Amino acid sequence: MKVAYWPGCVSRGFTPELHGSMAKVAPLLDIELVELDRACCTGAGVIAEHNQELADTLNARTFALAQQVQGADLMMNICSTCQGAQTECQERLDANAEYREHVNGTLAKYDLRYEKDNLANKNFLWVLVEELGLDELRSRVKRPLTDLKVGPFYGCYIVRPTDRLGIDDEKPRDTYLSLVIEALGGTVIEYAGMQKCCGFPIITMNKEASLKQAARHLGDAQDADADCLVTPCPLCHLNLDLQQPLAQRHASRALDMPVLHLPQLVGLALGLDPKELGFQRHVVKPASVIDWSTSVVAGVGDEGGAVSARGW
Amino acid sequence: MPAHDVLILGACLAGQRAALAAADAGATVAILSKVHPVRSHSVAAAGGINAAINPADDWRSHAFDTVKGSDFLGDQDAIEVMCAEAPDEVLHLEHIGVTFHRNETGQMDLRAFGGASMKRTAYVADITGQAILHVLYEQLMKYHERVDRYEEWFTTSLLQDEEGNCTGCIARDIRTGQLEVFTAKNVILATGGAGQCFKPTTNGLICTGDGISMAYRIGAPLMDMEMIQYHPTTLVENGFLITEGARGEGAHLLNADGERFMEKYAPNKMELASRDVVSRAEQTEINEGRGVGPGGVGIYLDITVVPKKRTLEALREIVNIGKDFAGVDITKEPILIRPGQHYIMGGVKTDVNGATPIPGLYAAGEVACVSVHGGNRLGANSLLDTLIFGRRAGEHAAQRAAGISMPEATPLSRVREESAWIDSIIDRPKDGRRVSEIKDDLGTEMNRNVAVFREQDGLTHALETVRRLKEEAKTAYIDDRGTVFNQDVLGAIELGFMLDCAECTVMAALERKESRGAQYRTDFPERNDDEWLKHIDVSRNGDDTPHLSYSPVTITQWQPEERKY
Amino acid sequence: MAETGKPPESYTLRIRRFDPESGAAPYWAEHTIELEPHRSVLEGILQAKGRFDGSIGIRCSCKAAICGSCGVRINGQPGLACHTHIGRAKETSRDGVIEIEPMGNMPVIKDLIVDMDAVHWKKVQRVTPWLINKEPIPEREYLVDRESMVDVTQTMACIQCGACVSDCLSMEVDPLFIGPAALAKAYRFVGDPRDAQQYERLQDLAEDPHGIYDCTHCFKCIEACPKGVAPMNQIMRLRRRAGSDHHISDRNNGERHEAAFVTLVKDHGLLWEAELLPRSHGGNSWFGKFAPKAGLELADSLPVITKAMLRRKVTPMGALKPHKIPSADLKQVQDIYDTVHGRDERLELNLYITGYDEDEAGAQEPAAVAASGGGDGGQTAAEGGQPGMTPEDSPTR
Repeated sequence: MKVAYWPGCVSRGFTPELHGSMAKVAPLLDIELVELDRACCTGAGVIAEHNQELADTLNARTFALAQQVQGADLMMNICSTCQGAQTECQERLDANAEYREHVNGTLAKYDLRYEKDNLANKNFLWVLVEELGLDELRSRVKRPLTDLKVGPFYGCYIVRPTDRLGIDDEKPRDTYLSLVIEALGGTVIEYAGMQKCCGFPIITMNKEASLKQAARHLGDAQDADADCLVTPCPLCHLNLDLQQPLAQRHASRALDMPVLHLPQLVGLALGLDPKELGFQRHVVKPASVIDWSTSVVAGVGDEGGAVSARGW
Repeated sequence: MPAHDVLILGACLAGQRAALAAADAGATVAILSKVHPVRSHSVAAAGGINAAINPADDWRSHAFDTVKGSDFLGDQDAIEVMCAEAPDEVLHLEHIGVTFHRNETGQMDLRAFGGASMKRTAYVADITGQAILHVLYEQLMKYHERVDRYEEWFTTSLLQDEEGNCTGCIARDIRTGQLEVFTAKNVILATGGAGQCFKPTTNGLICTGDGISMAYRIGAPLMDMEMIQYHPTTLVENGFLITEGARGEGAHLLNADGERFMEKYAPNKMELASRDVVSRAEQTEINEGRGVGPGGVGIYLDITVVPKKRTLEALREIVNIGKDFAGVDITKEPILIRPGQHYIMGGVKTDVNGATPIPGLYAAGEVACVSVHGGNRLGANSLLDTLIFGRRAGEHAAQRAAGISMPEATPLSRVREESAWIDSIIDRPKDGRRVSEIKDDLGTEMNRNVAVFREQDGLTHALETVRRLKEEAKTAYIDDRGTVFNQDVLGAIELGFMLDCAECTVMAALERKESRGAQYRTDFPERNDDEWLKHIDVSRNGDDTPHLSYSPVTITQWQPEERKY
Repeated sequence: MAETGKPPESYTLRIRRFDPESGAAPYWAEHTIELEPHRSVLEGILQAKGRFDGSIGIRCSCKAAICGSCGVRINGQPGLACHTHIGRAKETSRDGVIEIEPMGNMPVIKDLIVDMDAVHWKKVQRVTPWLINKEPIPEREYLVDRESMVDVTQTMACIQCGACVSDCLSMEVDPLFIGPAALAKAYRFVGDPRDAQQYERLQDLAEDPHGIYDCTHCFKCIEACPKGVAPMNQIMRLRRRAGSDHHISDRNNGERHEAAFVTLVKDHGLLWEAELLPRSHGGNSWFGKFAPKAGLELADSLPVITKAMLRRKVTPMGALKPHKIPSADLKQVQDIYDTVHGRDERLELNLYITGYDEDEAGAQEPAAVAASGGGDGGQTAAEGGQPGMTPEDSPTR
């Protein structure tokens, strides 16, 4: 499968391990990534908050670039926030022909044009379930995550609003993380915060409330006995992992909850070396996922191969 | 113990408008409601509010349409007051913030409505009642230091001194179960109608005729109680209201043959004839086997003829109702409707200031009968009625308050008596019937025999049923023994209110041996001005039975004539 | 098509009960009722109340989703009991039993009845919820744009049911947050051309630490609202007006954050996170990070920064040097900025007003990204990128 691939900004900035792990995982799933390296930031809702037309035009430009990728089956991103921000713009562009023409008018001088009905834009999570298929995914697992208790953390932008994101009985996209965790052989840990907000959007405006949110969900997951969380959103990762030392203050206890990016979790089960997946870059060491003393993936049963500990 | 110049019971449009007017007139004011004010049933009024604000219009034209709509039973002096004051009232609403929809020139847009000779209905999409109610509540929040609000207090009885003046009420704080006496120089009833006597009804569960019954119990006469409006377009599925605005925007009514049958009944106004006429036409089609849907019990309302963009903008609420409750996309297919109980034209008899014959007792809105609606209310006149007479009652009561002193405190023994009565309901043994069963029986009976078509036998049966249920209600039991939010005991009290209203309605309907407005007697199919151009008043005899009498219809400019649409 | 005529089915309701007079903890009570599947959960509750236990407490009146009384949580989701089909509720339940609880974020009075005065109405009162008239008040109606009244009708459509308050995630951690319903109410005045104090209202709401910038953008209120009010969208519009129209530089960094974000994307095409935070606190320029406020923030975040550096998550180089998109593309992006900012009026498409174009065949699920073949240079560039392991390896560097 060939996809027009939008990695987003943060996966190339503060969470480089996300972009990197996706690159490692893609070939193992026969996904050919054609990176949209000419595209710009989706605006993460903030540009839309500033000026809706600006956000819509910038994203229409990205969509138009994606539509130019020869032979691509769809457009794929690896960030819940990008998914949500782009889908919101796409909804407006698709809803109203007059508006679409207006936006295309701006793009015309760059020889770009967004065509409605011609761009499926999916997060890697949706691609796994809807394009690759869970059976296929299961069949490629080399190191099932047996006994690994994983709490899903979706990120708001990929679960709400349900109608805009196409979540319904046929496509219960708000349950996909659980399906993927199970397909990889892991155990799903349900906890109150799975579909709540990580708090990141207000980290600069109300830091205390922001960190309280992160602390709450991390604590809930801990209470539910999760070994780690997995998220398809790098911004959630920032608040849940990078900020965890600060969030911990609001939890009144040690949290120490590793948070994995979705491609990392998939990569682990597909047999990749934790280092290749960039686990060493996390602020909270994924100690429960990887046995750091022996460098063996913990809880993966007999098939779990030893992994070299060199360098970390 | 609270004491106010003006105490308003019910926080619907009429009540809130009265409170603001009374406060503006300098009175001390309290407004008390059994639900939070924005839950009041005025919220459900959809289509709009009539006023001759178009310079090409004339309030006299509005008044004549109203007189004709009432089938000449409306009192013309009151109708003149309402229609003449309508434009200023609507402009006042606009000034305090109601988001009336505009035309391309920025002025208020007006839509067509049933029985009107020109477009004169101002509107906010199809949530006009909600918009006005919420804006009035905004004003009450602004007036928070001048109007005391008692939200979620249930009035159980009106108080009267020895001279017969109304001096306040006893009410129960729903949250604590505490009974409290509210002393007042004047009481304004704004407690709404009694649609819950019928099943189904478009009315909310709170519309249980509380004020009508409480006023009746202290001797106030009721008027036009036989006049029950069946709205032509209620959803077959569950009785929900589909606004007349839909037909105002151009929607058609179709029978099983796909025929716009209104041609036969009202060739000029078609779907926009008055409500009694349209409902009767629909019921005739259904009764004669030309109904549609399962069992042929409905009629198609075809909104697909309205441009989709317009429907989505101006009829959004019914787009949602269709989608959510009937599984129908009204922009693509017709929706199944039928006539359903909607409004009572009758109520506590008042003058044009909202004053009842009992000194100190006022009424405004659906609880009252001024009578501006007579035999049939025109669509979009109810909001107007509530606001005009709510304001007038508020102003008049404030004025009256300035000239009299605060009534003496009601003796505690009266509260103890009330308390004992409520406790006795709570303590009833479980050997009678359930309150909910009696209520169901009442609604079903009324909807069967006191509906669009009526006749002697059916009405007699209804009267017998209501009287039997009244007996049964005396021993009906409830489950809730608590004090906090004991809705169960309030339900038992409400049942008593409803049974009073139902009894008066059935007796008046039996009495009126003609067909006029909403009262259509198959055994007396003609209007008979010689004998029946008069109101039927109902007041309570000492022995708890209704006593009937008559009062004249006030005619100023318009002599009765044949009514054709 | 219409759903009339379906036979009644059995449904079991599991209702959260709480009797404040008993001294006992809340508990669950189950009742089985019979209804047609298209009937509402409220009708189910009323049947249970009428037939089995009249003491079940729930506020309700209109049964038609307009009075806003019956806000509850059904299978964990907030909404109106009268607006939820009972058949559907069963489908979305965990175990076939429909679970009904009182709304969240508000204290429970009894059973399904919550104290809205203590939370919701207090917050509504907070936003000065009445029109402050532009003077002079005209003799007739104010002459205003047709669209403006349709626009504020979206917020006027709020029935004050509290479903959004129930689910608000910001309020969950910050009970002082003014919240979605009250802020939507605030937009009803800020968006109303007849109101005289739009600036004052916006300043008030921007400066309040629990005001418009305390919304965490989680979409919960949009999802919860039974009336399409989309409170979060209204909050974003309040921010847009506060920041872009009135240039209110608030103490909560709201306006600076937005300005910094928008500027960084304009300058680099991509977000430069290392620069975003200091600028949000210190001011929207490269010098922002040297402002005292930014310094304080830096000190507060020191543990995090140190860890991130240790793990090579953030490198000094990465923090100091932004990643950019190719310069030709950056020029296009900047050109788009200039074009859009140069418009006389800010264009905003509100789907609540315009609705959606008529569905065309195949509109639902786009099949694939077909090569439209038009783009010349763009194609090669787009084809060229294969992501590498680290950002340093990435072709976008």
